[in-house]
Amino acid sequence: MNPLLRTSIAASALALLAVCYPSRSHADSANSDPPMFVFNAFGTLGVVHSSESQADFVSSESQPDGAGYSQSWSPDVDSRFGAQLTANVTSQLSAVLQLVAEQDFSDRFRPEVEWANIKYQLTPDFDVRIGRINVPLFLVSETRKVGYSNPWIRPPVELYNIDPLTSNDGIDLSYRLHLGEVTSILSGAYGRSYRVDFPLQNSVAVRDFHAVFDRIEYGSALFNLAYLAAHLTQDPAIALFQDFRAFGSAGDAIADRFEFTNKLATAVSVGTSYDPGSWFATGEWAHFNSHSFSGARTAWYLSSGVRIAKFTPFATYSAVTSYPTSNAGLNASTLPANLAGTVAALDAGLNQVLRTVPLQRTESLGARWDFFRNLDLKLQVDHTRLGAGSYGSLTNIQPGFHLGGTVNLFSAAIDFVY
Amino acid sequence: MMNRFRSALLVIACIAGGHAAMADVVAVVSTRSPVTALSKNQLLDIFLGRANRYPDGTPASPIDQAEGSPLRDEFYIKVAGQTAAQMLAYWSKIIFTGRGQPPPTVSTDAEMKKRIRDNPAAIGYIDRAAVDDSVRIVF
Repeated sequence: MNPLLRTSIAASALALLAVCYPSRSHADSANSDPPMFVFNAFGTLGVVHSSESQADFVSSESQPDGAGYSQSWSPDVDSRFGAQLTANVTSQLSAVLQLVAEQDFSDRFRPEVEWANIKYQLTPDFDVRIGRINVPLFLVSETRKVGYSNPWIRPPVELYNIDPLTSNDGIDLSYRLHLGEVTSILSGAYGRSYRVDFPLQNSVAVRDFHAVFDRIEYGSALFNLAYLAAHLTQDPAIALFQDFRAFGSAGDAIADRFEFTNKLATAVSVGTSYDPGSWFATGEWAHFNSHSFSGARTAWYLSSGVRIAKFTPFATYSAVTSYPTSNAGLNASTLPANLAGTVAALDAGLNQVLRTVPLQRTESLGARWDFFRNLDLKLQVDHTRLGAGSYGSLTNIQPGFHLGGTVNLFSAAIDFVY
Repeated sequence: MMNRFRSALLVIACIAGGHAAMADVVAVVSTRSPVTALSKNQLLDIFLGRANRYPDGTPASPIDQAEGSPLRDEFYIKVAGQTAAQMLAYWSKIIFTGRGQPPPTVSTDAEMKKRIRDNPAAIGYIDRAAVDDSVRIVF
C-alpha cells in the first residue's frame, strides 16, 4: 500500500475512534481494568528566530528548512501535533498507534506514523513489541517530540541529532528487574531492514539494526545506557567517490573510507538525571561513528533547573565535535600533470563534504511556565559558537555565510498534552 | 463520633500549624491485604507504574484521586516531591511511549475506601481523618 494512503487510513481510523471514545481517562470507572481504547494527544506551537540570515537552524536533520535564511521567524522548527490511540485488547496484549504531524523531509506538514506496535506482556516484567518502535538511545529520545514532557523547548540538538536512527521497524524485548528499590529495565531491539528519509530526496537504508538498552531507576535518579549498531547506506550515493576510484589504490582507499555504503555505524550513550522535584540536573554523553564522510561524532550536555512555584528556569551547556573535518586527498605530485586540475577538484569536493560534519558549542538559558493545567509556555535563548571552518548543525547554507561564526536563537513555545 | 472528634482536633492542629488547607494524606490498603507497611520508594514505584507488585510479590493495583483534587496534589508532593504539572509531564513520557497509563481514579475518599474494600490488591490514599476499620495505613 502506498505510504500516504496508509497514513490517511490510519489517521481516519484514529479520528473515528477518538470521536467514539472521547474520554481519555479512567475517571470513575467501575473496575480496575483499563478501558479498551484510550486516546491521548500532544502538541507544540513554537516560533524560532535566528540571528544568522545566511543559513537555517533546524531541530532535526529531517527538516529541509527552518529559522534564519528561509524564515525570519519560523513556526516549522518546533511546531507539531501528535495523536495516539492505545488499544488494550487483553491484560497481556495491547497496541499503540501514534501519528505526528510536523514539517517532514519533503517540507509538508502531514501526519506520519511515529509509533505503531503491538505489545505482548509475557510475564508482569517481560514484554515483547513488534512494529515501529522509537529507539531509546538517549534519556528522552522516545519523547523528544512531546514538548510538555521536557523542561526545554527541544532537547539539545548537539546530542540528540548525533545519530539519524531515531526509530526502528522491528522487534524489541524488554525485561524489568527489581533489585531492592532499584529498577532496571533491560531491553534489546532488532530490525532487519527499513529506510529513513531526509530532505532533498536523500535517504538512509538501514539493515541489521540491533541495540541494547538499560534504564536504571532509583528514587529520583535515572540512568540510561545504550549501544546500537546497524549497516547504513546513503541513497543516492555521492558520485564523487566513484570518481576517486579512477585513481587506483590511493583513490580506492579514500572512497572506501568515506563512502556511505553498507557501513557499520555504531552509537554508544550514557546519561543520567536527578530530579527530586524542586530542582533537576541532567547530563548525557554519546559517541556515534558512521565510518564514512559523516564522521565520528562525540556530543555531551549538562543541564540544570530549579522549580519556583510554576516557573522552571534552566541553563544548558552542550557541545558536539566531529572528525575528520578535512583530508589531504590524493597526492597530485605522484600523478601525471594533466590530471592535477581534476585531482584538485576532487580533493576540494571531498573537503567540502567533510565540512558538513557538525562542530559547535551552545549555551542556553530559558524558562518553563506551567501557566495552566495541561499547558506550558517556554522561552529560550541559545548562543551557539560554530567550530572553526564549520557549518555546525545549520542547513541551507547560502553563499554569504561565514564559517565558524556565532548564532543566537530566540525561541518561544506553548506545549499541551491531553 | 470518635472520627468527628479526631477531625476537629486535626483542623485545630492544622490551623495552629498554619497549614489550614493541607489535609494529612495517608496511603491505605484493605485490612484483608497482607501488606502492613511500605517505604516511600516502594509506594512511589507502585504509583508511578514501575512496579506492579508489592514487595512480597502479591499484585498491586493503585488508585488515584481525581485530577485536580488537593489530596492528589498533596500525595505526590509528599511521596515524589512533584507538583501536578510535573506528574503530568512524567505520565506524558509513559503514555506517549506506549508503556502504560496512569492509575484509575475515584472522586471521593468514600469511593476510594469502597474500591479498596472490594479489592485486596488495591492501594490508594485518603485524608487521615477518613481512615476507618476497613482500611490499613501503610505509609
